[in-house]
Amino acid sequence: MGFTDLLSKYGEQYFQALLTTWRLTAISFAGAFIIGILITVARVSPIRPLRIFGDIYVQIFRNIPGAALLILLVYALPYLQIVFSYDLCVTAATILIPSAFCSEHLMSGMNTISPGQIEAARSLGLTFLQMIRRIIIPQALRSSVLPLTNLLVATMLTTSLASQVPMRPRDLTGIVSYINTHDTGGVMAFVISAILYCLTAFVIGKAGSLVDRKVRILR
Amino acid sequence: MDNHSPVPMIELRHVEKYYGDLHVLQDINLSVRKGEVVVIIGPSGSGKSTLCRSINRLETIDSGEILLEGAPIPREGKKLAELRAQIGMVFQSFNLFAHMSVLDNITLAPVDVLKKGRKEAREEALQLLERVGVRDQADKVPAQLSGGQQQRAAIARSLAMHPKVMLFDEPTSALDPEMIQEVLNVIAELAKEGMTMLIVTHEMNFARRVADRVIFMDGGQIVEENTPDRFFSDPESQRARDFLHSLHAE
Amino acid sequence: MKTGNIRDYLYESPGPRTRKRIRIITGIALLGLLVLLGLIVLQFSVTGQFDAKYWSFFTKWTTWRFLGQGLLTTLEAALTGSAISFTLGFLLMRGKFQGKLIRGISTFLIEFTRGVPTLLFIYFFFLVVPKTGWKPSAFWKITLPCAISACGVVAEALRSGVNAVPGGQREAALSLGLSERRTFYRIVFPQAFRFVIPSLIAELVIVLKDTTFAYVVSCADLMQNAKVLISNYDAMLSIYLVVAVIYILINYLLNTLSERIAGSQRRGIQTIPGTNKGVAAHG
Repeated sequence: MGFTDLLSKYGEQYFQALLTTWRLTAISFAGAFIIGILITVARVSPIRPLRIFGDIYVQIFRNIPGAALLILLVYALPYLQIVFSYDLCVTAATILIPSAFCSEHLMSGMNTISPGQIEAARSLGLTFLQMIRRIIIPQALRSSVLPLTNLLVATMLTTSLASQVPMRPRDLTGIVSYINTHDTGGVMAFVISAILYCLTAFVIGKAGSLVDRKVRILR
Repeated sequence: MDNHSPVPMIELRHVEKYYGDLHVLQDINLSVRKGEVVVIIGPSGSGKSTLCRSINRLETIDSGEILLEGAPIPREGKKLAELRAQIGMVFQSFNLFAHMSVLDNITLAPVDVLKKGRKEAREEALQLLERVGVRDQADKVPAQLSGGQQQRAAIARSLAMHPKVMLFDEPTSALDPEMIQEVLNVIAELAKEGMTMLIVTHEMNFARRVADRVIFMDGGQIVEENTPDRFFSDPESQRARDFLHSLHAE
Repeated sequence: MKTGNIRDYLYESPGPRTRKRIRIITGIALLGLLVLLGLIVLQFSVTGQFDAKYWSFFTKWTTWRFLGQGLLTTLEAALTGSAISFTLGFLLMRGKFQGKLIRGISTFLIEFTRGVPTLLFIYFFFLVVPKTGWKPSAFWKITLPCAISACGVVAEALRSGVNAVPGGQREAALSLGLSERRTFYRIVFPQAFRFVIPSLIAELVIVLKDTTFAYVVSCADLMQNAKVLISNYDAMLSIYLVVAVIYILINYLLNTLSERIAGSQRRGIQTIPGTNKGVAAHG
């Protein structure tokens, strides 16, 4: 099927799919960021059980394949009498996995702070909280901009999991599988979705670079 | 200038510290009067840095007492932070905050800890930067400054807190040779103005120039204490003699 | 990417009051976590998931052998996919060092493969490719899209590795009379490759995770074999849990290996200050 045919027949649905992907990406990234911060706080705290919990959490969710997690949530959890909607399952998967990587990036950002700066802050009479607020958090965040930008793109790619469950409206991957199984979408159907994904990734990348250039810390 | 106030500015009494099996501070007794400049020298591993850092509790001690103006150093919490605000510290690796301009580096603590007004802190910071000779670098970030400029800015940062005493932990050891003098000059100026100082250094000529008292440490002990003239021309202990000799042999 | 440095110097030696506070909070946290664990265990037992019928077959050797066969296919696909993605990535990386047109095409292809989800590539091989007349086996229908999806990232990793080789190396080789081509293949790239090994292992993990979509193309990997087991024993939760744990363990080991190599490299290579030359340090 040609480009114009596809657009006239499925243009509206492609648009919906794009919005679905964007929506899922935004929600997932926000959730992943919040959880990532909480997990990082746990991992950095002086409380050993919390550190171990945080470390295990990260190792589980950065190493588990998305498909395996999704299948566990959708098919296995009901056996524990925990039944989530398809929407919730996909969102949970697309939040949990990036959250582990988010914590890793934040930790790396924190590790860019030399121990000397912390000693200097202490010597000046700053309290622990003041140190966290004025020295640690700003440097950790500003050093993590590029990795977090990549994580946003990775989250968008992870949202393609939505195509694996009967979620409506479909996302950009699900729509292609739909068109090709119910119609003769052919290569063009893929190209449209692929281009839409790529453009989104490109814009995110450029925005991230701009932000990074502004807030980057010279060392 | 009162050089004989009854209460010493800093006092260490029978301070001991172990690092595992290593006895890094052995029965340290030291007293620094107000306005006095004490220089500590000695070979690496002698414990001189540890001694310096234990005064504002960057290092803990196992037994003994450390007193500032007669009051023991608190062990934790807000009281410790308040006390640290009264002790200035200059580090070997400068340790300026990488994400802030030089000016912000200097105003951070006065505003957050001393609760100074921002404008007032700024003006004073600029004056301090002028005093140490890096006024024109005020809006740059530390990475854009040379080592010597960074260290001078670090000194200004400590001075902004109006400390009662300043500690210097090998302030020029990480500098390229051509920048050492500019930093030493700033420190010498401070000494002349009557700041109470404890300086750990390898710069012998400088020690001779500014010190009121020289302390020689080796193996965790204070081996010898004397005025600079007497110490450098005729050290009493064999270890001190060996140490000075090894320096001249270069 | 386990870098635990800041945890070591963020806190100073606690005083007595602080130590007490930490002990109390540690106790509370431990309690909370145990309660959480207890709730999970409770839910398992309440729904009867601890019953022998869901777990007893794991004592049989045949169960593990069957899973092992699936795992073998998974590893085969992952390693093959990685090898292909390395080759493609290498070509793309070289392309970025060429003239304007080739560089543009390479850049486009790299951005394309990085910006498109692997699932989309998989659907392409599953739904579209067979219609063109080329009918790859299920194995290739999962391996090729995973490889294509990864090659962009590999290309960028290789490029950063090449850029990390000190410029002096290339200059020295050229001044000895080696051609640009020889310089690259004999001097620059071998060093770049060593830098890049950790990222390549990390990429292997990603490819391995992508291969779990093999069920889309009906390829008999670990997940597929698990499905067969499930239909035999009707034990969905226990089997999928075990399979998930297997994946997590393998990926965890690979990532740890990657970090270890990266760590030992960091210790081994020093740059002479004031130049852009690198020198291997020993000890």
